[in-house]
Amino acid sequence: METQNANPTILSISDLPSRLQQKKTAPSALLTGLTPAYVRDPFATGTESASDDESEDDSVVDRIDEQEIYDLIATISDPEHPLTLGELAVINLPHIQITDEPSALTSRVLVELTPTVNHCSLATVIGLGVRVRLEQALPPRFRLDVRIREGTHSTGDQVNKQLNDKERVASALENETLMGVVRKMLETCK
Amino acid sequence: MKLQKITSLPPHPDRIWSIAVHPTLPLIATASSDRTSRISSLLTYRALSTIDGGHKRSIRSVAWKPAIKGESVLATGSFDATAGIWRRFEDDLGSSTGGEYADDEEEEWRFAVVLDGHENEVKCVAWSAGGNFLATCSRDKTVWVWEEMEEDNFETIAVLQDHTQDVKCVTWHPEEELLASSSYDDTVRLYREDVDDWVCCALLEGHTSTVWCIDFEKPGSPHYVESRSSRLASCSDDLSIRIWTRVSRSGDASTVKAVPSILRGAPVEEEWVHEATLPKVHTRAVYSVSWSARSGRIVSCGGDGKVAVYEEVAGESEPGPESEPCESESEPCESEQAKPRSEWKVVAELEGAHDVFEVNGVAWSKRWDKGRKSDGEEIIASCGDDGVVSMWELVD
Repeated sequence: METQNANPTILSISDLPSRLQQKKTAPSALLTGLTPAYVRDPFATGTESASDDESEDDSVVDRIDEQEIYDLIATISDPEHPLTLGELAVINLPHIQITDEPSALTSRVLVELTPTVNHCSLATVIGLGVRVRLEQALPPRFRLDVRIREGTHSTGDQVNKQLNDKERVASALENETLMGVVRKMLETCK
Repeated sequence: MKLQKITSLPPHPDRIWSIAVHPTLPLIATASSDRTSRISSLLTYRALSTIDGGHKRSIRSVAWKPAIKGESVLATGSFDATAGIWRRFEDDLGSSTGGEYADDEEEEWRFAVVLDGHENEVKCVAWSAGGNFLATCSRDKTVWVWEEMEEDNFETIAVLQDHTQDVKCVTWHPEEELLASSSYDDTVRLYREDVDDWVCCALLEGHTSTVWCIDFEKPGSPHYVESRSSRLASCSDDLSIRIWTRVSRSGDASTVKAVPSILRGAPVEEEWVHEATLPKVHTRAVYSVSWSARSGRIVSCGGDGKVAVYEEVAGESEPGPESEPCESESEPCESEQAKPRSEWKVVAELEGAHDVFEVNGVAWSKRWDKGRKSDGEEIIASCGDDGVVSMWELVD
């Protein structure tokens, strides 16, 4: 496959914002809770227990903030470089936003991606990887919007529409070839 | 008014995409990501049987074949690119006990036919009012019309390629052989048969994002106007629900005869206009909309987890020369007909209908259970990402 961007700008890992380091000895409630898959986890091997669901649910747990979302997805590998989305600055902390819906029943997570080149044909796959990672890790009360940051991609609108079409995403998750790629991207997630 | 839960059916282990209420029997069917469809009783709200083994991927849509006796026929549409036809004999008791099986044995559903042809995911299946046509649509951008030539022998009579993207939903007019489809290309299209060919006879533009679902107004419901004969509701990712009205049609056998024409007939064409937009309730994509045959109300649901019910009321008539203000709220004024100035209002809105989960489908049903107070009573069924079907009544 032809490489989309042979010489991407790379950030040093030590410069990336992260809470993972401090938490190594005392993992947060959220991180330990990552194992039970919440919704439609295509990788789920075990069965989810109802009690887990309850203890993890909503307000009981510390509020999930932007940094935690960042830590969940910045470690995803790029499909064509041996680097993470954080290192390539595809995922950036200031481009993650959490807003509570007025009803407070649900919260919205908006993640804006910055592709390394503006014609990157892998943008959809990267976006799908981010979605899968967050759907696995976050409780079902989160509504995800994964978008390409405005002006950073030549077909951004099309990519956005696909990435946020529930039916297309669900269907993609049933596509073994595509999921093989996504699974590989997620191998580096902590 | 408010929506009060009657009960919930035992959950599927995975998302329920849609539900279908049987046209005459107290039965409801689900379409689930767990690759099964479950049939439950609307008398007892117990699961009766599960249809599985026919599809390799998620079942996205189910539809009961109307206008048949002695048998139930269900069509399923799946992400595995096929549609399935399933049959089950209803014994004579079927109608009197309303589909409740005599013993606990699951009655056998027979996987009768696989309909192949679509290139990829089938998104929706729908039977025509007479039951002789089945429409299917797919991410492959096409709408197929199948005709059942004899039992279990389906022939493709049309492949409609008018949409430029993924086709999300198909539905038939409740009386005419008029088919509607909605798409990821933000439009709704209507099709009719023209001599030998099915052709697109109208294009409804206005939504600014994917149109997820469409439903026709049912004849005989309140506010239904014979002369107008057709209205359609559409709901979209743009968060709106629109009402469209047919204002004219041509090329129809009945209307063409009167008009001398140079060629063999006027082109099959219909003109539809955007008549109203329902009050905005949803804050995320509106996935499903259903128009009641009994009350004329509309129910909608979406990614925000809400279920909302809307009612059409004779609006405050514009200060006009003639009409007295309409006294009765429940009956449409005759004088309004010429200048329909009705207004839609929200009569019930429920947050978190499926807890924190998204709600994928809603449907009206006649009420059959023991709690029924009157004959015309209706209930709402909803399904969600939690794998649950819930039944709702509207109470004051």
